[in-house]
Amino acid sequence: MAAAPDEFSEPDDLDERERTALETLCKRLADDEFVLAERYTEWQVRAPTLESDLALANNAQDELGHARLWYDVLGDLGFEERDLIYERDPDDFRHSTLVERPFEDGNWADPVLRSYLYDVAEELRLEALADSSYPKIADRVEKIRSEEGYHREHAQNWLERLADDEESRERLQATLDELFAHALTLFEPCAPPRGANEASGDKPRAVDSGIEADIVDLGLRTATLDELGEEWLSIVVPYLESLDLAVPIDGDGDDDGFEVTAAALPDERGRDGTHTDAWAELYDEFTHTYRELGRDEPTAIMDAPE
Amino acid sequence: MSSDIQDQDSGPDANLDPDAETGATPCAYTDYRSGEADGDLPATGAEATGLEAAVWDALYEIEDPEMPISIVDLGLIYGVYVDEDGAATVDMTLTYSGCPARDMLTEEVEEAAAVDGVEEATLRLVWSPEWTVEFVTERGKDDLREFGLSI
Repeated sequence: MAAAPDEFSEPDDLDERERTALETLCKRLADDEFVLAERYTEWQVRAPTLESDLALANNAQDELGHARLWYDVLGDLGFEERDLIYERDPDDFRHSTLVERPFEDGNWADPVLRSYLYDVAEELRLEALADSSYPKIADRVEKIRSEEGYHREHAQNWLERLADDEESRERLQATLDELFAHALTLFEPCAPPRGANEASGDKPRAVDSGIEADIVDLGLRTATLDELGEEWLSIVVPYLESLDLAVPIDGDGDDDGFEVTAAALPDERGRDGTHTDAWAELYDEFTHTYRELGRDEPTAIMDAPE
Repeated sequence: MSSDIQDQDSGPDANLDPDAETGATPCAYTDYRSGEADGDLPATGAEATGLEAAVWDALYEIEDPEMPISIVDLGLIYGVYVDEDGAATVDMTLTYSGCPARDMLTEEVEEAAAVDGVEEATLRLVWSPEWTVEFVTERGKDDLREFGLSI
């Protein structure tokens, strides 16, 4: 755990170090939620049952709401919705590659497993934000938690049913083999925002571990990424193994527990400004209408009638 | 905002047993009596005077987009402040973070709060304490019951 956090300034008096830490943290939170919701909505009218369709659409709406809450915090730094989404350079997004991966048609195991891997991580990080030194971050946590509770329950309920059937379990295993490395990027440090300093995300992989250290030292988050990652592994590995799934990670977790190692990570990590090809396609898709209509203001698609 | 949360069981008794006639049970995923009342909430402007009272009156006129209930009786307004220069600030929350009517509602509130004598109205969206059904006023509960909701 961090030592007593440094005093964090009021929104109007933030120094460079505070601004960069706040921006980096809020972008990774908001981008994860936003991009995951974009992917979930692809299942609308395609999920296996009407109820699961409604459930996933509803989870997507929850995540969009939470993305908006985190993007709103960035309003303190002068950012607006269009800067943060529709006119943002796709290379500046800092979401984990887990949330941008495309779905294979009809593979329901994927959104179920992805939701489980993500929602366990989200629970842990919300816990680590509840006592944030930045009041606007701490103020949002309970609201979000109250809307998150059933996401993980929904995912586990489906996982257990799918794992009970041989063909479905094979699909789950194949999906786990594909997604697990990407899920580990949830706990990777971020490259700085574009243009923030010399080692900025203009150069991919220019991860600045100093910013991540600042996020914790300044008390914005009260746990380190390593702590969150290890706690996550201590939950998801035994659970998935209890479903007779083989988790692609070394170690047995008996002595020192599991840890996220560089070798286990995928080439593209999202957080560092590198993304899989799927991201460019998804970005083009959700900005398509905005561009096609020549908009420069996302909240007013049409002029109000006289 | 000070959130002097008190454990105050002031809500109506939600009936979670099966309905005697139909045998229907409430949805297990909806908590009919979640949350705690807050010492200062619901805020209704009952004690407000002058311009602040005028702003409260204007906000009472705004209905929730889905249900025939004033947003004040629904407990969305946490506070109204008008300073000596006539600058009004309204603290407001939403029942759901993913509310698709957020822009519509917040614009309506800012417009309504600009009553005669108010120079400028600003809305602050607040999320703590999180809204719960305990913030609905007695009159609001009557409105919701009349609409057919069990509260």
